Amino acid sequence: MFNLFKNKNHEKENLDKLLAKSDDFKCIEYFNNKTNVSFTLKFLATLVDSKTIQESVLPYLLEENFKQIEDAKQIIPLADIQLSEDISQIEDKLFTGSVLLTVSGKENKFCFLGARKEIGRNVSLPEVEFSVIGPKESFVESLDQNLNLIRKRVPVKELIMEKLTVGTLSKTKVAILYIDGITNPENVNTVRQRIEDIEFDEITDSSYIVQIISDNQNSPFPQLLDTERPDRISAILAEGKVAIFVDGSPHALIGPTTLVEFFSSFEDYYLNWILSSFFRLIRLFAVVFSILVTPVYVATLSYHYELIPIDLMNTLVASRRAIPFPPILEALFLELTIELLREAGARLPTKVGQTIGIVGGIVIGTASVQAGLTSNILLIFIALAALASFTTPVYRIGNTIRLLRFPFLLFAEVWGLLGIVVCFCFLLTHLIRLTSLGRPYLEPLYPPRMQDLKDAFIRLSFDKQRKRPFLLNTKQPNRFHKKAAKYKKDIEDE
Amino acid sequence: MRSILKLIASVFLALNLIGCVKKEVLDDISLIEGIGFDYIDKKNILGTVVIPVYLPDQPPKSNTFSTKAEITKSILQDIQRQTADPIVTGSIEVLLFSKTLTEKLGILPLVDAFQRDPSIGSGLYLAMVDGETKELLAGQYGIRGTATYISKLMEHNIRNEDLPKSNLELFLTDFYQEGKTPFIPQLKQIGKNKMEINGISLLKHGKMVDLIEPKEMFFFKLLVDKYSEGMHLVKIDSGEAAVRSIHSSHNFELTKRNPTEVTIHIKVDGIINEFTGQELTPKTIEGLQKQFEKDIKKESLKLIKRFKDKQLDPIGFGHFVKTQTRNFDFNNWRKNQYKDLVVKIKADVKISESGVIE
Amino acid sequence: MNSNVPDSKKISPFLVFFLIHTMQSGVGILGFQRFIAKTAGYDAWMSIILSGLFVHILLWMMFKMLKIADGDMTSIHTFVLGKKIGKIFSSFFILYFCLFTVAILRSYIEVVQVWMFPELRTFWFALVFHILVIYIVFGGFRTVAGIAFFSIILPFYIAVLFVVIIPYADFTNLLPIFDHSVKELLLASRDMSFTLLGFETLLFFYPFIQNPERSKKWAHFGALYTTMLCIYLAILAFGFFPEAQLQKNIWPTLAMWKIIKLPFVERFEYIGVSNWGLVILPNICICLWCASRLAKQLFSIRQKTSVPAIAILCLIATSLISTRGQINILTDYTGKVGFYFNFIYVPLLFAGTLIAKKVRNREKHT
Repeated sequence: MFNLFKNKNHEKENLDKLLAKSDDFKCIEYFNNKTNVSFTLKFLATLVDSKTIQESVLPYLLEENFKQIEDAKQIIPLADIQLSEDISQIEDKLFTGSVLLTVSGKENKFCFLGARKEIGRNVSLPEVEFSVIGPKESFVESLDQNLNLIRKRVPVKELIMEKLTVGTLSKTKVAILYIDGITNPENVNTVRQRIEDIEFDEITDSSYIVQIISDNQNSPFPQLLDTERPDRISAILAEGKVAIFVDGSPHALIGPTTLVEFFSSFEDYYLNWILSSFFRLIRLFAVVFSILVTPVYVATLSYHYELIPIDLMNTLVASRRAIPFPPILEALFLELTIELLREAGARLPTKVGQTIGIVGGIVIGTASVQAGLTSNILLIFIALAALASFTTPVYRIGNTIRLLRFPFLLFAEVWGLLGIVVCFCFLLTHLIRLTSLGRPYLEPLYPPRMQDLKDAFIRLSFDKQRKRPFLLNTKQPNRFHKKAAKYKKDIEDE
Repeated sequence: MRSILKLIASVFLALNLIGCVKKEVLDDISLIEGIGFDYIDKKNILGTVVIPVYLPDQPPKSNTFSTKAEITKSILQDIQRQTADPIVTGSIEVLLFSKTLTEKLGILPLVDAFQRDPSIGSGLYLAMVDGETKELLAGQYGIRGTATYISKLMEHNIRNEDLPKSNLELFLTDFYQEGKTPFIPQLKQIGKNKMEINGISLLKHGKMVDLIEPKEMFFFKLLVDKYSEGMHLVKIDSGEAAVRSIHSSHNFELTKRNPTEVTIHIKVDGIINEFTGQELTPKTIEGLQKQFEKDIKKESLKLIKRFKDKQLDPIGFGHFVKTQTRNFDFNNWRKNQYKDLVVKIKADVKISESGVIE
Repeated sequence: MNSNVPDSKKISPFLVFFLIHTMQSGVGILGFQRFIAKTAGYDAWMSIILSGLFVHILLWMMFKMLKIADGDMTSIHTFVLGKKIGKIFSSFFILYFCLFTVAILRSYIEVVQVWMFPELRTFWFALVFHILVIYIVFGGFRTVAGIAFFSIILPFYIAVLFVVIIPYADFTNLLPIFDHSVKELLLASRDMSFTLLGFETLLFFYPFIQNPERSKKWAHFGALYTTMLCIYLAILAFGFFPEAQLQKNIWPTLAMWKIIKLPFVERFEYIGVSNWGLVILPNICICLWCASRLAKQLFSIRQKTSVPAIAILCLIATSLISTRGQINILTDYTGKVGFYFNFIYVPLLFAGTLIAKKVRNREKHT
């Protein structure tokens, strides 16, 4: 966009002119008394660490034997020093925090001194995917720092980090990580191709990338998994998936992914397989419950009173008697209230948010029951459904589940249970058609693959996880080699 | 690419405009939980329905509505004109018929509506009422409403006591099964808010023809139900014992043809609940077992003889012999064979426990 | 023929199990007990085995033909009858599948109207159902196979739930065995075959199977499973109902549900009938897919145009049929057409294929 100027010298003048408009652009001339050389430093004060200039650059340039530009490499104690004659690099370098050094009279040769100022968080606790057991690091906004966390966990030469730049304005750095020799190159190519094809000006977060490179942008389902846990990334790299890091985003992306992966918390791998399988099943049940409970309530109360056991009839009818609305309005009213509380809680600072949650939950809930606007049974259901939707370990899918409830509600209102089934069929079809980086999203359910079911709804023990997911079609399908057939011990054998 | 959301939204709009089906919102309908039918004259019957009114923190109050009509559905039609909310039949639990009605008209024409209606489950209970159903249903029984009271009453008597299994499904099965006579329990109001099961009525072509007295019910259940429970009082010289059968079963065996002879093996596993005599020695227990076996034999044969005389077959001998015979002729069976049927009973009583004291 | 189906659009061989089974079990399974008991009484379960055997033989013939012609029904027709006549014959099958679609959907809507919503408008429900079907078929054959897969896996609990009614069933009803003549049994097995129809779709989706040789055993398993399921349901119904009562029930399978009472659900039919929507969904999808595929092969109409077009036709036809009498006539005709096609035309075609093969071989040698 800014490379409109063909003539190089012209370009440099133009750059200077544009930069001069910015207040933080500094262009200072110095004079070395020892060698009688005058030199200029150009930099953007907001991007450059002034301490580095004061302590590691200026003292040496002013007091050492600095005669020509080539000497800079010897006298300045900085690691990142680069000599260049290429004018087109100047803009790039200046905006990534380098100091441009030129010696008067020889302006066509220059030297870039890396003095980038690092402002950003330190590695902190994961907030979205917190786990009680396991590592407590999470990614931060700085790409280098994030990649550092991964390199530490996968210290092998096969771990490849490809870097791309996307966004015409943001010039966001994107890193594609995979393990050479394991990951299917087809997947890497797909990711690379799609990222290269991105046409957008300002990419501020990895969420932009997810949406732009998704197979189906009109689906409410996230088609790439995002995580802030380095341990998760390193584990999925070993499985043979591709990770995408975006500079400025504390969430890394994983692909290809499947629906069930969104319901597996990474803590599952830190618990014994029996426990984690149990928790996974509970979570799955919670999700189904959360989506279906209000629609089934509406369908049953509006159309299928025959289904209700006679012992429950008293409780149900008595709680509904005084309510003037049909079940659908009652349900929508409560659902919307819960959504409001959730939105309010998410936008407010933590402490206020908690208060709002309690006030909203208790006060509004009790008041609306007492006022005869909703039945207390539905209130229990909706509260449970809301609770259940929070059990999803990945935040994004939780949002999807929130949304899914509404079409189901509408269908339940129209055709009762039959409507729920029809709506379910639509959902099922959508999921069957959906792909993540060209791989089926509903795998290992459909296409059914026994091998991948070992780590889907339940997680079998690690010695059963000998193969990498079939979904990924990896180059090296075995994770480890099975030891020579184990001798089956009898009870009393040593 | 078509967005699924857009699709759902447009479909929903279209549906809401034209495609809706009739709603039956739970609190805007009157649920009939029980119906009773009384005899008026040859053409007309009096129908009484029980509709509970549910109140918060209180047991439901049972309201009854009565009307005169010719068939079941027109009764409901008439009652619609009396209730604030439309009445629905989906949660009916009991169907009652008065004794006079069962004797004179039969219950078949009335049952048809309930068999045809898809919203009615086939697990509902049928019963005959000794007296008028209208009076019986007018009482307030228990804390769960009249109909629930009756259905629970029957349920626990079927499960633990000597009432044989019976509901709409079994009634219809027995009715349609050739060589089997259906039966339904009989209820009687014994006080303002009290009722009891006081027998089992046998129905031929839907009309009542015979009644099993409460004291015969234990043996009737042994013959009719594959597995049964119940209590029987055994008297021997050294005292009386209340023996509870905890697990009994019967088996039929076709032992001879021409004339047909069927042996029924009855096995009873019992425990002694009460003994009035001095000491309960192994010998007394043996005596009790013997006496119990004798009782079973005597009472059962008495019952079977009665059924044969009245041309009834609630035990299903006809059906049993049919399953053992190819090209079975039911007409011949009814006319000749059943009369000549010889039934032998082989009872085997085992008393295994006698409580926590010696 | 095989070459024009890209590998990524093919399905793995064992999914054929689900495709065959799902096509065979539609609305028919809700009421077949009555028809077969009409002629063969309670010996009719033997007729099911008999017609199951026929199905296996026919499947074997189909695989043989498909292998010889190396393609689908159209290539068999071309192989045996030549290009032009083959095309005419093949085009009849578009109508055949439309008929199937209408019959299945209309019978299901009738079940819903009788058991759940008497006021349900045929047109609107059929419209939504067709939109759903179009959405599925647009996803390609893989999506269709996926729906077939789920339509068997998800409602499987229903088959298990039937265990609840066993205490109410009196299996001595089935005795004495062989109370009917062989002729009666054969007649009943002809009636049974109406229910087992649908496996002929194999002739059309065959090119979409990866490694078709390996799919053979799965196709046979699918048919076997249907037969077993039918025997299971028939024996349950025979035990549950006396003969006279069975003849009174139009949908014995559904009527059996009336007794099921679970602690949290008083009545099960409503859940069952709703769920059945998922069971018949793949039937309609496969039929529509086959019809549109044929239209593409014969008249080179894009599937994206032919699918909605056929769906609209079926929709109109479905909503024109209103009474039970008309529905019975329709299902009768569909059953008969399917029977003649499967049990008479397929063996004839099989013989034709063998002859044609011999003739060609001889031509090659000379």
